Amino acid sequence: MRTILILLGNEIRRFRSDKTALSLTFLVPFVLIYIFGNVFGVGRPGGPAPTGIPLAVVNQSDSPFGTAVTAALQKEAAFKVITTHKDPAGQEVPLTEARLREMIGGGSIRFGLIFPPDAGGDQLAGLKLKFLNNPRNEIETQTVVGLLQKTIYSSAPQALVVGVQKAAANFIGAESFESFSRSLADAIAGSFGGDPQQVYESIKSGQLNFGGSPTGAASTGVDSFLQSLIKIESEQVGGGKVKSPMATRSVGGWAIMFLLFSLSSSATSLFDEKKAGLFQRLLSAPVRRTHILWSKYLFGMLLGFVQLTALFVAGRLLFGIDILSNFGNLLLICFAASTACVAFGMLLAAIAPSSSAASGLGTLLILIMSAIGGAWFPTSFMPEFVQQLSRLSLVYWAIDGFLKVLWANCTTLELLPTLAVLFGIAAVVNTFSVWRFKRGNIFD
Amino acid sequence: MLEVKNLTKRYGSVAALDSVSLSLARGEFFGLLGPNGAGKTTLMSLVTGIRAADSGEILLGNVPFMPDDIAQRAQLGFVPQSIALYDELSGEENLRLFGGLYGLRGALLRERIAEGLAAAQLEERRHDKVESYSGGMRRRINIVAAILHRPQLLLCDEPTVGVDPQSRNAIFDFLEKLNDEGMTIVYSTHYMEEATRLCSRIGIIDHGKLLALGTLDELLTDLPFSEQIRIARNDSTTPHLAAFERFGKLNTTDDAYVLTPAPELRLSEFFSEAERLGIASRFFNVTRPTLENVFLHLTGKTLRDS
Ligand SMILES: Nc1ncnc2c1ncn2[C@@H]1O[C@H](COP(=O)(O)OP(=O)(O)OP(=O)(O)O)[C@@H](O)[C@H]1O
Ligand SMILES: [Mg+2]
Repeated sequence: MRTILILLGNEIRRFRSDKTALSLTFLVPFVLIYIFGNVFGVGRPGGPAPTGIPLAVVNQSDSPFGTAVTAALQKEAAFKVITTHKDPAGQEVPLTEARLREMIGGGSIRFGLIFPPDAGGDQLAGLKLKFLNNPRNEIETQTVVGLLQKTIYSSAPQALVVGVQKAAANFIGAESFESFSRSLADAIAGSFGGDPQQVYESIKSGQLNFGGSPTGAASTGVDSFLQSLIKIESEQVGGGKVKSPMATRSVGGWAIMFLLFSLSSSATSLFDEKKAGLFQRLLSAPVRRTHILWSKYLFGMLLGFVQLTALFVAGRLLFGIDILSNFGNLLLICFAASTACVAFGMLLAAIAPSSSAASGLGTLLILIMSAIGGAWFPTSFMPEFVQQLSRLSLVYWAIDGFLKVLWANCTTLELLPTLAVLFGIAAVVNTFSVWRFKRGNIFD
Repeated sequence: MLEVKNLTKRYGSVAALDSVSLSLARGEFFGLLGPNGAGKTTLMSLVTGIRAADSGEILLGNVPFMPDDIAQRAQLGFVPQSIALYDELSGEENLRLFGGLYGLRGALLRERIAEGLAAAQLEERRHDKVESYSGGMRRRINIVAAILHRPQLLLCDEPTVGVDPQSRNAIFDFLEKLNDEGMTIVYSTHYMEEATRLCSRIGIIDHGKLLALGTLDELLTDLPFSEQIRIARNDSTTPHLAAFERFGKLNTTDDAYVLTPAPELRLSEFFSEAERLGIASRFFNVTRPTLENVFLHLTGKTLRDS
């Protein structure tokens, strides 16, 4: 144990003296999170409002639904709602659908929302909305769609609920409806417990039935679903408990990606030590291979834990993410995520033949895992089969844990499955790595 | 102190060490002389437990050496051939790490580090990062890192490669002092001058085989001749090669012919013949044999060639 501690101390000393590693671990992620945070429009609450995305709205209906949503959109800082334009005579006149299509086609505006004459008219038939877009990229559309969803939840829950499926389908198209339902199911499951898949099935089949929900918060029937939904908006998107939902969502994802990068680079330092003949020297001393591996592992866990915690503190300072109200569980999930991420780093060192191979492979895998695991944008925006793949990525589970803790404010018990998955990933990967280290030539 | 019996280690089809046996008494300064690829490093890695032998036996102080027994390894010190230090740490931090791994701590550790830095003449640079040291400084601290715990047996694998003569002498003095204090030292090198100066006994190794073993005198007396004649290579000597060859075996080097006299030859006979041929005596030079001759005699090649 003393040997491991001495080696661990040595790792820490080396890390401290390495300015590049230090800045890659703390400064760069800090700056990038700040930049990305602002790109995704999650400015500091109470601070200057993020620049609105221009959104043209044409209301052809006279239903209260259209008016309510338009008003809500106007209040939403993320959007700059445009309802009029200047006619050739220089007069401000209300936008028409034809004019809107022209503008979008011409690229002078990228997003438009149309409430057709019958929008919300017949409640049983559902809400009718047309969303026109000419986006510069897919993510932008996804973000706008997400923001629209959020605004509609909070502005017209009643109207939305009654015709939820049809409205959604018309609103974002059949393809996106899939992801829409998933986000909804995830959100509900996140807030009230239950299996997202089950909730999702219920929504899809129209049963709106959450039987089997462990918390019992939602019983069965349309009434309780209504209640649930109203609760959703007040707890998650209505500016209630989660102070900075977008930041809360993204900081964890970015943090885990940076963590993977710093841990894989610290694990590939094994190759430098091998090259310098340091392992020969260490192994000629009263030191075992397992001592060396353990010291690396413990150092990685420590580094990961400190880095994650530091980035969440950054998230709090920059975006006001609430990390304190569920702090114990946040530390737990940070610990589990670090354990799994170090395992990934050690795996790289165990399977790659050289330092450059390890960092190349590492970068590739980290980018793939981050992309499909939801570090960049929510997995619910992804096609179905990618969403299935997501679950193979440790990034997915780490983010799942962060969201449970920060978004859904869950208890340790509710967090256990995610912790178990992360520790399980670590155990499996480590077993494999140790086996590889025994056969490989890193210590020769 | 150390006994090695029939030690063999193969890398694929290469026999890096081929049934090597030797025995060192306590307090010996043993030289392992051999060219590149001879198996010097391989032998050291087996004796330090870094690698496992394919067959053979190692006894350390009459006890079988178990590579897994880390207590036994604490009796050893190893100076690797490469400079195995953490470049990004200071010299002192490196020493603290390696001293600590050998179980030193507190006042004793500080004292040994101070002694080591003094011996390596690095007191003033103790807080500088190793990456800022010169090659010679690194070599010196590389050695100090192996002796902080005062091992009973110190294995130095070519510890002076790339060191200027002055630093080299400082290292020699340091090692001789440790040896005088009772440390048994195994010192591998491909410089015969080093082996000659330092070692009480020398083993000559090539292609994994220990070809000869003994004191310098023993090795030299085993040669079939006790002196050689170097003949300058120029226009007045070159025409007479046939005449020289009658006296023994003639080898040609870059600047000279080297005559190894036939066993029964008396040198006076050679010189009267040279006088008769009218070759000035300043073109001749009688030399005593060196380890180089021993190596050449054993392997048919020079240390430098191989
Ligand atoms: N890890 C290895 N894998 C394969 N072959 C090896 C390995 N290490 C050494 N060898 C081979 O074993 C033989 C002995 O090598 P060794 O390093 O012991 O020589 P050495 O006497 O230390 O040489 P040098 O003076 O160049 O350091 C060489 O033929 C070498 O190629
Ligand atoms: Mg060698």
